[in-house]
Amino acid sequence: MKNRIRLFLIALVAAFSAASLLPVTTAQKRRDNFSHATASHKKIDCSSCHKVPTANWIQARGFPDVADYPGHDSCIQCHRNDFFRGNRPAICSTCHVTSSPRGEARFAFPVRSRSQEFSTIFPHDVHQNLIASSKKSRSDVAVAHFVRAGFKAAADDDKPQFNNCAICHATPAEVPKFESRILGSLQPLTDAAAESFTPTAAFFKDAPNTHASCFNCHYQNQKPNRTDCAGCHVLTKPYFESNVIKRFSLKFNHQDKDHINKDCTTCHVRITQNADLKTMMNADVPILTCSTSSCHGDNIKTEISQREASITASQPAFQCTYCHTPSIGRFQIPPSHQSR
Amino acid sequence: MSNFSCHFLIAMLLLLGPLPAAPQAPAVGSLEVSGRVKIDGKQEKLSRKRFYLLRGGLNENKELVARLKAVEITSRDCFYSQMNASSEFICWLKAENCDSPYCRDATAEEVELVPEFLTAYKKGLKQFRGRTAVAQDWLTTNLPPNLVSGYYRQRRALTDNLLSDIRPLQSSMTDSVTVKAIFIDIPVSADGTNPKTSGTFLVSNILPIEFGNKSYVWACEVEIGTSKPASLRLQVPENNKPVKNCEVAVRDLPVCKTGSCPPK
Repeated sequence: MKNRIRLFLIALVAAFSAASLLPVTTAQKRRDNFSHATASHKKIDCSSCHKVPTANWIQARGFPDVADYPGHDSCIQCHRNDFFRGNRPAICSTCHVTSSPRGEARFAFPVRSRSQEFSTIFPHDVHQNLIASSKKSRSDVAVAHFVRAGFKAAADDDKPQFNNCAICHATPAEVPKFESRILGSLQPLTDAAAESFTPTAAFFKDAPNTHASCFNCHYQNQKPNRTDCAGCHVLTKPYFESNVIKRFSLKFNHQDKDHINKDCTTCHVRITQNADLKTMMNADVPILTCSTSSCHGDNIKTEISQREASITASQPAFQCTYCHTPSIGRFQIPPSHQSR
Repeated sequence: MSNFSCHFLIAMLLLLGPLPAAPQAPAVGSLEVSGRVKIDGKQEKLSRKRFYLLRGGLNENKELVARLKAVEITSRDCFYSQMNASSEFICWLKAENCDSPYCRDATAEEVELVPEFLTAYKKGLKQFRGRTAVAQDWLTTNLPPNLVSGYYRQRRALTDNLLSDIRPLQSSMTDSVTVKAIFIDIPVSADGTNPKTSGTFLVSNILPIEFGNKSYVWACEVEIGTSKPASLRLQVPENNKPVKNCEVAVRDLPVCKTGSCPPK
C-alpha cells in the first residue's frame, strides 16, 4: 500500500513538473481556456480589467480601441498564488507567448482564431431608422453614416440607395466558413446526393468584427458607449463559432446582376424591425421574396410539385437543388414554402 | 433492455395517455404597402419610411386615429433652432436633407465653416492625441448630444406617445428600389386559433412624414386574407375628396427662422 502511495506521489510530482515546461501549443490551449463566464469573473465589472483605450491603440489600430490584454493588476488580486507557481507559471500563457519573467511578448489581441464567448446586440431596427445614403466612405477608418430616411424627390432613374447596409456588410475578400442552416423541426427524407456546388466569396456578406464600425459613433456620449461593454456584448453559451455563416440557401449570390440592383431590405424584410438577431427565429429573407417573384417563382413551384409527386409515387424523395445544396434539399418542405 | 424496463416504459406510456394533438399553425397573410404617392400632381417616392401594422380597422383604432390627426410636430429646422444650433450647422444639414450629423462626412472645409464642428474637432484632436483623421471621422463623438441624436430621440418619443399602450403587430420600411413595405406572416385572427381566413388591420406611418412644407400621416384600413397577398397604395386626398378606407392628415409644417443658406 505504502509503495502505491509513493508511486502516486511520484507521478503527481512528475505531472506538475511537466506542466511547468508546457510547450507553446499547450500554452495556447491554456490561453483559449480563459473564460469570462466563471462565477468569479462574472462578478467583476468589465472596465475593472479592460481599459478603453489601451496604451497601444495608435500602433495597434490607429483609432482608440481595446487593443491589448488587461494588465497584471487585473489578475493578481485573485490569482497571486498562480503567478508564483513553478518556474513557468501556467497562468502566464493566458496572454504571453512564453511563460517566463522576461517573456513580455503577448498573443495578438483579440485572438481571432478562437471561438467567441460573447454575442453582440445590434438593434437593426434603430439603426435602420437612421440609415440612408452615404456620400463617401473612407477605407482607413470605418465610418458609418446614419441619416435621414429622406423623403427626397427622386427621379425614376436614380440609382438605388442601399441603406448603407454595405458599411457593415461587405462582400468578403475570401470565401468565409459556411454551412447549411437547417430547421430543427424538419426531418431528412433521404440521404444527401453528392455535393457538386461550391459558392464563391460573392455569395456572402461579412459582418463587423471590430469596434471600428461602432466606436466612431458610440465612443462617448451616444449610448452604449465604450465603457458600457455589456451594452453590446452578452455572454453566451461558451463557446460559439461566430465566424461561420449559416444559410438556408447557399446558392444565393448577392453579387448576381439581378440581385445587386435591389435594395437589401427588398429581400431582408424582417431586418428593419429586428431589435436583436437572436430573437429572429425564421429566415430574415422569407421564401416569399423569391417564390412569388417572376424570376424564381416557377422554378420553386416546379420543385415543390416534383417533391410532392415523388412522395405520392412512393419514390425516393425529390431533392430540391434550385436554391439548396443536397445537405438541405433533402429535408421536408417547411410550412413557410406553402404559405403566403 | 431488460423485460422489467420494457414493461416499465410501456406502463408509463399508458399512464401518460395519448399524445396531445399538434397545435395548428396560425392562418397567416401578407401585405404590400406601396410608397409611391401622387403629391401635387407629381409621383413621389416615400422610400425608407417606416409603417406600422395594427390589429383592427379605423373604428377599433379611433382614439389613435384622433391622436394622429391632431399631432403637432416640430420640424427639423425648428428643432435645431430650438437647440440654438448655428445657421451654418442647420444649412449643412439642409444641404443634403439630413436629419443629423450622422448623415455624411464633414469635409475639412466644412469643419472650418461650421462652428459646432470646429469645436468638436478641436476637442477630438486633443483627446485623440493629434490624430487628425480620427478627430474628423469621429466628429460626432464630440458634438453636443442634442445636436447628434436629439432630433431622433424627439421623434422616437413622439411615436411612443402616439402609440401609447398600443403594441403594433409589426413594422416595416419601404425600400428604395420598389418603394414597398412588406409585411409577412400576419396572423389574421387575434388568438391564432380561430379558423378565420381574413382580418381587418390598420396601416399607419404614425410619425408624420415631412415633405416640402407639409407633413403627412396615413391611417388606412386594409383587409388581409390567407388566400392572396393584400396590397395598399397610399394616396393623398385630392380636391378635398377623402381617400377610401383611409384617414389622411396633411398639415402645414411650422416655420422657424433659420437664416438663409448659400445655394448648393
